[in-house]
Amino acid sequence: MTYFFQLVVSGVVVGSIYALSALGFVLIYKSSRVLNIAHGQIIAGGAFIVYALTVWAGVPIILSFLASMVITFFLAMSVERVFLRRLIGEPIISVIMVTIGLMSIIDGVIYFTPFGSMNYSFPEFLPSTPISMGGVSISWTQLVGVLITFILIGAFSWFFKRSTIGVSMRAVSDDQLASMSVGISVPKVFGLAWAMAGLSAAAAGGIIGNITGLNFETLRAFGITVFPVVILGGLDSIIGAVVAGIIMGLIQQFAAGYLDGNWGLNGTADVLPYIILLVILLFKPHGLFGTHEIERV
Amino acid sequence: MKRKYHRLWIVAMAVGLALAFMAPVQAAETYQLGLSLAITGPTSDAGNPYSKGAEDYIRFVNETKVLGDAKVDCPIRDDMYETAVTKRNFEDFLDQEMVLFLSYATGANQALAQDFNEVKIPVIPASMDKSLVGMSEYIFLPIASYSHQYVGVAEYVAKNHKGGGVPKVAAFIHPSAFGRAPLEDFKAAVAAGLKLDLVEVVEHGKDLDNSALLQRLQSKGVQYVLCQTVQSPVATLLNDAQRLGMTAASFGEAGKITFMGAHYTGGNDLISLAGSAAEGYYWTTAYHVTSEKGPWTDWQLDMAKKYERDDKTANSHNYACGMMAAQVAVEAIRRTREAGQEVTSATLYETLNQMNGDKAFESLAAVGPVTYGPGDHMGVDTVQLYVVKDGAFQSEGEPFKPEFIK
Repeated sequence: MTYFFQLVVSGVVVGSIYALSALGFVLIYKSSRVLNIAHGQIIAGGAFIVYALTVWAGVPIILSFLASMVITFFLAMSVERVFLRRLIGEPIISVIMVTIGLMSIIDGVIYFTPFGSMNYSFPEFLPSTPISMGGVSISWTQLVGVLITFILIGAFSWFFKRSTIGVSMRAVSDDQLASMSVGISVPKVFGLAWAMAGLSAAAAGGIIGNITGLNFETLRAFGITVFPVVILGGLDSIIGAVVAGIIMGLIQQFAAGYLDGNWGLNGTADVLPYIILLVILLFKPHGLFGTHEIERV
Repeated sequence: MKRKYHRLWIVAMAVGLALAFMAPVQAAETYQLGLSLAITGPTSDAGNPYSKGAEDYIRFVNETKVLGDAKVDCPIRDDMYETAVTKRNFEDFLDQEMVLFLSYATGANQALAQDFNEVKIPVIPASMDKSLVGMSEYIFLPIASYSHQYVGVAEYVAKNHKGGGVPKVAAFIHPSAFGRAPLEDFKAAVAAGLKLDLVEVVEHGKDLDNSALLQRLQSKGVQYVLCQTVQSPVATLLNDAQRLGMTAASFGEAGKITFMGAHYTGGNDLISLAGSAAEGYYWTTAYHVTSEKGPWTDWQLDMAKKYERDDKTANSHNYACGMMAAQVAVEAIRRTREAGQEVTSATLYETLNQMNGDKAFESLAAVGPVTYGPGDHMGVDTVQLYVVKDGAFQSEGEPFKPEFIK
């Protein structure tokens, strides 16, 4: 039973980090219906900013973590302002192509820095002794990661439900024309959505980097790794990202724990999420919590 | 008098013209190499310092006139770990009359092996996949293959395992040709009598948490995990094992797991990624590491300082790998010139094949001499086992030749 509970804890940890990583996709899609393909690069960028501030500038790591979120907030907002603002009203595929271009540009910029080809790791700032209860253990790094994830997701949920700006963003997501007619600035909402996605990506990068170390290839791959999570939860649902993230985390851990290495199976933890994704999408094409839009003719 | 001056003028012109024609001949004594590798993209954490090692060594050769007035030109191109780009780079280098190719990835070398055979050009790869030398007689591995290194750690397990029974091991490998490279030889070694029980082969993904994997392996009685991948996944595995209290405090500690691996799993980057979890990690390579002082490592650090490389590059074993690949190429050129032969792909191939016996090349970068012959295209035959103690890799025993590998 300890084995089972360890898998549950590990699944929730991994799933929470997936959820936080997926949040950036959801925030942008929720307001602008755009898929940001460069999300993995922003995750990596956030992690590198934390490292640069902490190790090179000597800023305490907690402050670096917060500063990296602020920096990526404004960087992502600038990206929207410079590259994407002009594309409002253009076909979605054009916007997605721009994000693909953006991905290459950010890759290129990071390759110019030492982070593009060197491994780094954050200085140890949490106790290395894990927390153990009844044979089930969780490291401080993981625990702090989960806590930050839930705090941020809670904050974003509150923001969208209770704050005026959040409600405006939801309104823009529902109907841009109607929103403009009541005085909501759609371009500003898009900018804010990108900024918030940047902020959440930096948080995800900081947490993932603390677990895996800072390797650009590993970090940017999370932009793709969390894609099944986003689709499963529903592209425009924050709660969907959380639920789907944890489902995926649990599936991966149970697959690795009970299937891999048995009956000649191997690598099921990597494949099973996609199989389940396909099956669920057969029955719920908009994901578990995605908005099912009905067009009346 | 006027006629005399006219003659002198003609002689001076003739001498001038002769010198003008001779000058390009002198300038033409530049030997063209080519290096294509992943400076960006997957595995660039290894490729980047490797490229700097090769670049610095070639600069050193030209600046200190190791080849007299002759120069070596070695353009370095990023292939982003993509075989198609490697092939394009290789063909461009051939257009520049390259005489020896410094290549990189296992997959790209496998894909280009036929091209090497057709062009008949000697190739020194960064990959140490043993199968490469079977695919092309023009490939010369600089050091012992992944198979040798991997079987080397396995032999250490078999010899030093405490407690009864056959030690149970698991293979933790990269999901690629590079990761799978030593598996067949490892299985052959077990079939040939190496007393180990291979319980499971794990091709890892991009895992954030290896709890399930580690607990599964422990439930199957696995005591040793042998890695053939890059540092980052090993670091995550080590961190998780430490968190779960599974890491052996000493080699082969009963009920715990001892982690070990081949060339690209270790080095200083592993320690910086895994921190204290790297303690007790066993690693084989054929290179000297800068955590141990010696003539080579002192020189390596001096070179890095001379060419203003950062500390990470200076202390990377991949920096030494790049240097040594260039070193072998330059040594082959030097010997060919010394023999009075024209430096071409064919003569370099012959020179490399004669690099054995009293003509073995002592590069100092590795723990043994580089020896090649018509039936032996693996440079350094011995491997060195290192173990992380007090945050640094330290030698464990003497360099050795794995016995269970052909």
